[in-house]
Amino acid sequence: MDHYKSRKWIVVFLLPLVIMFFLFFILPLGFVFIVSLTKWGGFGKMEFVFLDNYRYLFQNGTFRIAIRNNFIWAFSLGFVQITLATVVAMILSRKPLMWKFLRTIYFLPNVISQVAIAMMWIAIYNAEYGALNRLLELAGLSRFATNWLGTIETALPAVILQQVLYIGYFMIIILAGRMTVPDSLYEAADLDGASVLQQELYITIPMLKDILITSMTLAMAFGLRHFESTFLMTAGGPANSTQVMGIMLYNNLHSLTYGRANAIGSILIILGFFVIVLIRRVFGSSSFTTEIRQ
Amino acid sequence: MKKHSVCLIFAGLLFLLLIPAVAFAGGQKDKGPEKEVELTFPTFWVGQDSKSAPIQTLVDRFNEENAGKIRVVIEPNPDTDGYRSKINSGLAAGVVPDIFVFNPDPTTFGYYESDLLMDFTDDLTGDWAKSFADGYIQASTMNGVVKSIPFEIGVTPIWYNEDLFKKAGINGFPKTFDEFWAAADKLKAAGIVPTSQMTGGANAWTSMLWYSHILASLGGPTVWERPLTDPIYVKAAEILLKLYTDGNTTKDAVGGDAGVAGGHYMAGNTAIFINGPWYIGRIKGDAPAVHAATRLAYAPAVSGGKYGAMIGFQLSNLAAGNTDDPVKRAAVIKFMKFLTDPENVSMISQASGAMFALKYEMGEDVDPLLKQFIEISSQASFSVPHFQSQYRIEVVQELGQAIGAMVLGKATPEEFVQMLIDVNQ
Repeated sequence: MDHYKSRKWIVVFLLPLVIMFFLFFILPLGFVFIVSLTKWGGFGKMEFVFLDNYRYLFQNGTFRIAIRNNFIWAFSLGFVQITLATVVAMILSRKPLMWKFLRTIYFLPNVISQVAIAMMWIAIYNAEYGALNRLLELAGLSRFATNWLGTIETALPAVILQQVLYIGYFMIIILAGRMTVPDSLYEAADLDGASVLQQELYITIPMLKDILITSMTLAMAFGLRHFESTFLMTAGGPANSTQVMGIMLYNNLHSLTYGRANAIGSILIILGFFVIVLIRRVFGSSSFTTEIRQ
Repeated sequence: MKKHSVCLIFAGLLFLLLIPAVAFAGGQKDKGPEKEVELTFPTFWVGQDSKSAPIQTLVDRFNEENAGKIRVVIEPNPDTDGYRSKINSGLAAGVVPDIFVFNPDPTTFGYYESDLLMDFTDDLTGDWAKSFADGYIQASTMNGVVKSIPFEIGVTPIWYNEDLFKKAGINGFPKTFDEFWAAADKLKAAGIVPTSQMTGGANAWTSMLWYSHILASLGGPTVWERPLTDPIYVKAAEILLKLYTDGNTTKDAVGGDAGVAGGHYMAGNTAIFINGPWYIGRIKGDAPAVHAATRLAYAPAVSGGKYGAMIGFQLSNLAAGNTDDPVKRAAVIKFMKFLTDPENVSMISQASGAMFALKYEMGEDVDPLLKQFIEISSQASFSVPHFQSQYRIEVVQELGQAIGAMVLGKATPEEFVQMLIDVNQ
């Protein structure tokens, strides 16, 4: 009887959120898929063209560049950014001098507008007055000075680099997990003569496996749906070399080709699902509840 | 029992949270006719925009004159791209602002296909229609219907800094491209970068205008009747490429946006620039010395091409959301007539430097640069719109990418044009 009552209350409590989730997520998602099969300018009649929008996109060279770049973004954030965040979290977890101050400093960019950060990096990378070229000149390396955001070879790495460096968000998550690992494990390892590096490799990383996989999943999802900094810093240029699906989606909304925009949205959703499943398969299944228990 | 009551209260609260969310998603209803009519006016004429202050002054005056009856509320949106997105998504969702502005082009004229826009065909007659300069109402008419009111217009001659030209020993602006390259060499010898260019932004604005000028010289008044496959597009691309190479522009032109192109001109780094009269207010405030030294000219003629072309176009049209409420409709018309009143338009023009599609008198203290704009546009041998107004937005978006590819050696001028053709299909 009690079991029945408790199930009843679970339903009562869940229902509002389920309704909201259906109204504001499932329903729009279905709409995205339906519109992706049409030729529609935002008003007037929808003309069903079935897979024409998908065919157009996969035959389009710029879209192929965008998919490639999104994967580069996903792997850069998923592996490089998470690695950096893990290393910094490991260092800070040993509470060096001013570690609380450093933790705040690393997290600070996460509370600053992405627009302001992008503007700062545009100024740093500028070919005429940028700080980076000035530093290279001062170091006697002026032959390496270039238009960082206006050269095909350097534009994508330059935009990715400025994003990868902002490790604060994941560093905080990993640091919080690291703080829950019992000190007794490290003390025992210390007595056994394990070095700091060995302790981190053989205690911290296995203990934080679930958190790391979750962080990696999130970072890769951010990479796949990346938009802001590239849009602000290069708008996908030069010559579409930094193009990403998010910008193409935005441009198609601008040009009132909603069918094509929604086809890009659908592909993004499918790729996101694929990447999440892939990570879980490669790194082993991870339960989110495990992290909560930790 | 007590536990059940608490649970019930929590569940009820959750449902209450849901109700306003759903209610707001449905949009707000029009207010009744007995109440003051409130008209929302989202606009990018705010903040740094040179028309910000005069538009606000006019709206305040209108509200004062119509106190208790009509109130226009400006919704600031300084980001023009974001503004356009907002209007597009609003139209797709069937939610249109009471009054809004759009840049007329083949994409935005698609708005006319919907019945979401107010039809001004029967209103734009008589004295109101006569107050507009010739041709603009017709240019805003599609299939016999006028769903937007022509307002701001643009002409974009070449701007050059006479002080920098004198410093380089150049008298007057070159009339042919052969003379232009010689002048560019003199400027470079004097340590001055000849032109401002940009591939960034939504439309590579400055370079798009250069491309339009070169095409106008090659194609004459009927240039836009020629398809993209016409050889003049490749020839114009070759000249545009030269403007980017040999130090003829700044190192940050590829990837640079309007801030970069305009910033270099205002800082005196470059001697030549292109923009419309709306930029006068900005340059006057930020770089008064450059403003004083700026002279306007026609673009140089391409060998065998025409000289004296002006790039002129409708920059902003006013539009309104359709309504069945006659009181609200009357309020919108009243505000539109107020905003396009020749005296009010003259006030905006003098304060901002902008030009309008109406017949209006300028005061005696007209900005000297604006005076040059009026003179040079009236003396042009012919006027054609810019490239952007002739092609759908996706072609314009690709233009900046294609220029970048050409300048960085990834595309020849022929391939540059092919990139545009591919997107245009």
